[in-house]
Amino acid sequence: MLAAPRRGTRAAGARVLVALAQFAAVSVIVFAMTSLLPGDAAEIVLGRDATPEQVATLRTQLGLDRPLPERFADWVGGLLHGDLGRSLVTGQPVAAEVGGRLGQTALLTGLALIMLVPLALGAGVLAGRRPGSPVDRALTGVLVAAQAVPEFALGLVLVAVFSLQLGWLPATAAGGAFTGAEVLVLPVVVLVTNHLGRLARQIRVGVLDTDRAEHVVHLRRLGLPERVVLWRHVLPGAALPSIQQLARIVDSMLGGVVVVEALFALPGVGSGFVDAVSARDLPVVQGYALLYAATTIGVNLVADLVSARLLPHREVLG
Amino acid sequence: MSRRALLAGALGTAVALPLAACGGSTGGGEPLRVAFPAGGSRESLDPHVLPLYVDQARAKACFDTLTGWSQEMTAQPRLAQSWEPDATGRRWRVRLRSTRFHDGRPLTAADVLYSFRRIADPATTGIAAALFTGLDFTASRAVSDTELELVLGAPNFLFPLSWAAPGAEIVPHGTTDFSRPVGTGAFRFVSFTPGGPARYAANEGHWAGAPPSSELEFVPIDDEDARLGALLSGQVAYAHDLTAASAARLEGDGRARVLSAPTSANQFLALKVDRPPFSDPRLREAVRYGIDREALVRVVLLGRGQPGNDLFGRGLQYYPSSAPPVVRDIERARTLVREAGAGGLALELQTSGADPVFDAASSLVAEQLGEVGLRVTPRVLPSEAYFRQIRQRGVFSQLSNGALPIPDYIGRRSVTTATSYDFTGYRNPEIDRLYADAVGTRDETARTAALTRIQELLRDDSGGLVWASRDWNVGIAAGLGGVESARPNTSAWARFDTARLG
Repeated sequence: MLAAPRRGTRAAGARVLVALAQFAAVSVIVFAMTSLLPGDAAEIVLGRDATPEQVATLRTQLGLDRPLPERFADWVGGLLHGDLGRSLVTGQPVAAEVGGRLGQTALLTGLALIMLVPLALGAGVLAGRRPGSPVDRALTGVLVAAQAVPEFALGLVLVAVFSLQLGWLPATAAGGAFTGAEVLVLPVVVLVTNHLGRLARQIRVGVLDTDRAEHVVHLRRLGLPERVVLWRHVLPGAALPSIQQLARIVDSMLGGVVVVEALFALPGVGSGFVDAVSARDLPVVQGYALLYAATTIGVNLVADLVSARLLPHREVLG
Repeated sequence: MSRRALLAGALGTAVALPLAACGGSTGGGEPLRVAFPAGGSRESLDPHVLPLYVDQARAKACFDTLTGWSQEMTAQPRLAQSWEPDATGRRWRVRLRSTRFHDGRPLTAADVLYSFRRIADPATTGIAAALFTGLDFTASRAVSDTELELVLGAPNFLFPLSWAAPGAEIVPHGTTDFSRPVGTGAFRFVSFTPGGPARYAANEGHWAGAPPSSELEFVPIDDEDARLGALLSGQVAYAHDLTAASAARLEGDGRARVLSAPTSANQFLALKVDRPPFSDPRLREAVRYGIDREALVRVVLLGRGQPGNDLFGRGLQYYPSSAPPVVRDIERARTLVREAGAGGLALELQTSGADPVFDAASSLVAEQLGEVGLRVTPRVLPSEAYFRQIRQRGVFSQLSNGALPIPDYIGRRSVTTATSYDFTGYRNPEIDRLYADAVGTRDETARTAALTRIQELLRDDSGGLVWASRDWNVGIAAGLGGVESARPNTSAWARFDTARLG
């Protein structure tokens, strides 16, 4: 009885080790690639009218005249002591800059998931249990259409209707000037609409397959109540592939939704990362790379563990 | 918790949250909110290092300069009540207004001397450094608390223009940390997050009177659609830097108004004169006469501007208003291309998103020059490093420039010692000599003649073709008063000292 949990723990540990190695590789690549981009923080901070002498002065002040490997080694040394360094541009600690934006993105992601999961589950089950029915066809059509609408187009329409015409909701978060929950309603609706089709269709396929599986048919023959069959046997089987899909969605949301953040002037990690790359602010870029690696590892690990819990007889962590 | 209970809870929350949110508030108080495109974490509160318009606008709220630029780019008094040069133009006697910094310290001559010294210090990397490096800081002195003498190494009868430049703000003596800036401006600093809002409160003791708005908040909104949405939905009362299309859209909407400052930004084509193919003056002339400026203004700027005649600064002091327009002459351009042996020459026109006008203009320019025998292909470069790239490797590029006093523009960008603005590779010692004459004389007629000659040289030989002077558009809420349409960099631009909502 103890073998499975131990195997799961070992597998999870191995996954974390692999992920750490991946992060190390990613951080080297990100550091190198950002350094290859034209321009550096000194030039970008000073703007286009700066003289070469001014750029050289600031470059020295920021330590950008030091060799790249030396700067990378410094960054790694700091990281090992839990210090992500300071922004080249603002002088603020990287952890504070990235962490401040992560809160906004996590809230947005959390609210989107609270709406997305039940809606996708409901739509997927409804359609999957009645394949080919008018309900299935109608739901599939609507979901595909919703998925096909670009985020920015949907956002603009929602702002035009609910903010500019009806005046019910704020049009933007104004870069953090507006912090009430209502500023997140339209961004959440855009995110949910964008991802709903993908997740609901995945659930639909899972329900369709599991519903016809031999063991489910057998349970029905045994006379088990339909709701027990659905909740205890169909949904867990259908959920397995959907959980991986959901993990990808969560990962992408936590990585920052650049279009939505720009459209609603939300100061999240997506726009923060774009700003950092634009400013060639290497320590901050590295901070975001670390965050992305951590969220990807964490989300996928949670997804695997949930899958293992739902179907313990399957090798989901192997 | 059972799965059913969990699901039910999630569904309930999903429905309840948005409903609850709809009844929420947008936060206490109603500050005057103004939206600017911002550079995210690139922003700074150091008033001497101001790469972005939003930096300059925030500096204007918190600090002040000795003088300010009028719409025609002449010097107007601000912290300096009066000033006068000696007969040589090397010594300037300046009398200061009696006022105080936000922390209660009085403004003194020592603050001005410290500020100018800090701006000129290479370690500050100040944007106005070039304007103050000619000051002799050893000889310059405080005559009294409210009077000072500035001594220059060379005559400059236009020196008061430099005191109004963005980046020439007066800070308290000894200030090195600007995390909580203290100035003499109409608003006191309250809080700021890089990439986020900056909040200010009214300075009741401001020398020009307390501003009507008790709070001022700068909010960063990069996306233009979002800026427009925030304005029309009443979230902000001022939206800076709108394209011609957005300005046209606002004009039909009763919730907002457009303030257009005419001919505020100059749109250039930069041709590198020190390398092929534009080292051949015939090809420069072919481009000059091959582009259709009327069409560019009509199509790209939607008529919100004036066709350029290759001269900078239409409408400003010292602009030679009698200069003839440049009219498209396709036959002449074709002949020039033929004579230069450049028929069918393939050219890359560098462009970027650094200016919203560049891309559309590049497509049209390519099409127009195709008609005279040049095969032009626009090439989009990354915005962040665009200006460095075209300075170093550009041959044929899009360029733009906001409003500056014409002498300042020449002094900082066209003389041979200017190192920051070499977009066309043009160097002419004659311009240095004429510029020295222009700033070194009291005689306005002689100065105007010298500056006119410089502009003719720049027009004919520099490779900088001004194809349009475009209007500068900002959107304001219908109920906002006390804000003027103003050219960027002028004293009235982005000034909220008298702004009043309602």
